[in-house]
Amino acid sequence: MQSSSTLEVGAVPATAVSPGLRLLLLPLVILAGMGLSVEAGLLGPLGGQVGHLWATLSIFGVGSAILFLLLLFSGPQRGPAFSQLPRWQLIGGFLGPMYVVVLTLATPHIGIAMTMIAILSGQVGKSVLIDHFGWFGATRKKINAERWLALLLIVAALVLIARG
Amino acid sequence: MMNLIILLSVVVAAGAVLSVQAAINGRLGETVGVLRSSLLTFVVGAVSTGLLVLFFEPAHAVSLLDVPKWQLGGALFGVVYMVVMVAAVPRVGTAVATVAVIVGQLGMGLLIDQFGWLGNPAIELSSSRLLAMVCLGLALVFMYRSSVRQG
Repeated sequence: MQSSSTLEVGAVPATAVSPGLRLLLLPLVILAGMGLSVEAGLLGPLGGQVGHLWATLSIFGVGSAILFLLLLFSGPQRGPAFSQLPRWQLIGGFLGPMYVVVLTLATPHIGIAMTMIAILSGQVGKSVLIDHFGWFGATRKKINAERWLALLLIVAALVLIARG
Repeated sequence: MMNLIILLSVVVAAGAVLSVQAAINGRLGETVGVLRSSLLTFVVGAVSTGLLVLFFEPAHAVSLLDVPKWQLGGALFGVVYMVVMVAAVPRVGTAVATVAVIVGQLGMGLLIDQFGWLGNPAIELSSSRLLAMVCLGLALVFMYRSSVRQG
């Protein structure tokens, strides 16, 4: 589940890395993306059998357990405690379940590919808006013609798949 | 057809919610670290889903403990994804990493649909599906170019 971040086509500049390492990393990242589709593919049928909320709970339950263990064994963490942060930064967790529930509900009816493209268009649309207006403390980045074009193409893809 | 449109707009909205979450968590991750911010997300997610299950989920004949274990593996992919992204983004850049993720997501999505893997209904790879992929490929090229110029 892409709960942390999927589509932040932002401006993290690549640090100097040898071309060989970059080529090695890319297949790994592509595999990670394939994993997300596998996850969606597992969720749909699972939700059909045990209920969509239960399927969602399994994702968050297992994810929490794994992350807790990772955190426990990765040593002391830097940075402030959660209680010192502004409240709104903590609500990200409420949004994730909505996404997973929709994923479980939708994939049996419209297929994985269409679900992924629809998610993508929502993500791109919203992230373009977030970047453009600098919401949630993001750095402001004006929408340019290329981003509009990209958005249009994604919507076109959605329409094409929906009709096919 | 009407149902399809409603369902599609719900899914698009879920994608929008996801990018709001990414923006919020991005800020959080900067200050407290990726592991802690992800753990917070997952715990809050588990607790709120748990509440929803308790109060709203109707009883089902089959429980999570009855299904084959491989059906419960979804979360593993999510955590692996997160770790890979944390490792890759600083080295290849966000834009490239994002494009690569989407290529993997859609390629695999098409394969699962085509062959009906993992117990999903099979949807054949038609010419309009292929054309849609071409559109997406182009879209990603444009996004990549625009973020490279701005980055």
